[in-house]
Amino acid sequence: MKKSIWIFVFMGFFVVAGTRGLATGAEPGQGKNTGAVPMSIAAGAGVVEERYMDDNLGYLDEEGEEEIQVPDPLADWNLVWFKFNDFFYLKIVEPVAKGYRAVMPAPARTAVKNFFHNLTTPIRFVNCILQWKGEEAGNEFNRFLINSTLGILGFLDVAKKWGNIDPADEDLGQTLGVWGLDNGFYIVWPFIGPCTARDTIGRVGDFFLDPVTYVDPLLLYAGIKSYDVVNRTSFRIGDYQRFKDAAIDPYVAVRDAYIQYREKEVRE
Amino acid sequence: MPKLVRLCLLALLPLTFFGTFSYGAQPLDDLKGPIDEVIRILRDPRYQDKAGRELQREKMWNIIQGVFDFTEMAKRTLARNWKKFTPAQRKEFSELFAEFLGNNYIDKIQGGYQEEQVVYLGQKMVTAKRGVVKTKILRESLEIPVAYSMVLRGGVWRVYDVNIEGVSLVKNYRTQFRKALMRKSPAQLIEILRKKIERQKKARATRDDRAGGAADALSNRCQFKEG
Repeated sequence: MKKSIWIFVFMGFFVVAGTRGLATGAEPGQGKNTGAVPMSIAAGAGVVEERYMDDNLGYLDEEGEEEIQVPDPLADWNLVWFKFNDFFYLKIVEPVAKGYRAVMPAPARTAVKNFFHNLTTPIRFVNCILQWKGEEAGNEFNRFLINSTLGILGFLDVAKKWGNIDPADEDLGQTLGVWGLDNGFYIVWPFIGPCTARDTIGRVGDFFLDPVTYVDPLLLYAGIKSYDVVNRTSFRIGDYQRFKDAAIDPYVAVRDAYIQYREKEVRE
Repeated sequence: MPKLVRLCLLALLPLTFFGTFSYGAQPLDDLKGPIDEVIRILRDPRYQDKAGRELQREKMWNIIQGVFDFTEMAKRTLARNWKKFTPAQRKEFSELFAEFLGNNYIDKIQGGYQEEQVVYLGQKMVTAKRGVVKTKILRESLEIPVAYSMVLRGGVWRVYDVNIEGVSLVKNYRTQFRKALMRKSPAQLIEILRKKIERQKKARATRDDRAGGAADALSNRCQFKEG
């Protein structure tokens, strides 16, 4: 009898020491959970109810990044263009892209995407320099050289595939943001879509850095640009509709997504 | 005597097991395991016809409920407006919001996830009880970064926010709800959500009819896989 008690105590010691060791070794701060067996969530019907009584909003501070609110003084006007773009995208651009996707295999569409991406190198290169990002500017320069030659006019992204050189996703809107220029206000442009005052200036600047801009007959220019848009859309079939379906207020959802997305890009 | 020893050992065994188990749990594991399971169910050929799709939804929903902390999500999307809701309204709102998000999620993956691939890039601990799991979705030559914010509660890591290409789902809904609650009451917002779910159900019914019918017709003819 005595022996068994000793074994019991011995075992108990190891269990306690074992969990302590794990608690301090692996995950500091989780010590409070010693008794928490995964099953406790199932037993917590009362706990769940309690959560609806909880008024604590402390998490709002711990999120860190403050929320960006961009004024929308042109909301009524924007809503008109939002609806126009919505129709234009879902009824014209996407169906065309869908048909195009059906006849063009993915590698071909990727090649076209790479080609257009390679063409817009000046935009990214200049903006890397304007943001004082030397390494990224160098990467863009090297990518352009490698992909235009070995990558056959930019159709193949060999710089990424073989050299693992990532593109730097920079534009003038971001540059202005990095320089400290505020978004200003939200604006929806016909065909172009969501934008802000700052990004509008950025887009105009980038327009002049885009080689396609200097294609002479206007019709040819429009054709090239449309093809670029259709090709890019072919990778995004259904995304917008799903996003819209998941929204309570699609106009506000798109506006917020645009602001959040651009904010992330400026931060990077 | 040996019997007693064995009994003592048996009594202690579960303690050691659960002790290590709850410490071993990591955000990435608690996310990856269930999501892999959802994908497995999605690809299971047994669920391709109309009746099967309904069963498939149910199975996926059961798993998803364990992965996503919908109450936490609802609370975070309402933010300061949470205080305007009575506990009963909070409960109702949370449950409807859970159903709404769950429907969106399942509709999305049932409607063409097959061609996509999830890559787990790793996890980053923010605090001992909060972490972010980074993944990316590969679709043709497109890479879509998706990050899951997770919180440890009751020994299990659960998702409270999803960030797709830099856009936080919680923040996106927060902006929408804030706008709605400027003019509408909590009760009205709950009603809007209810109507949205009704519409989802109708859309799904017609879609399942079409997809199910097509799948049935195909499987009747031959075992041809839809592209």
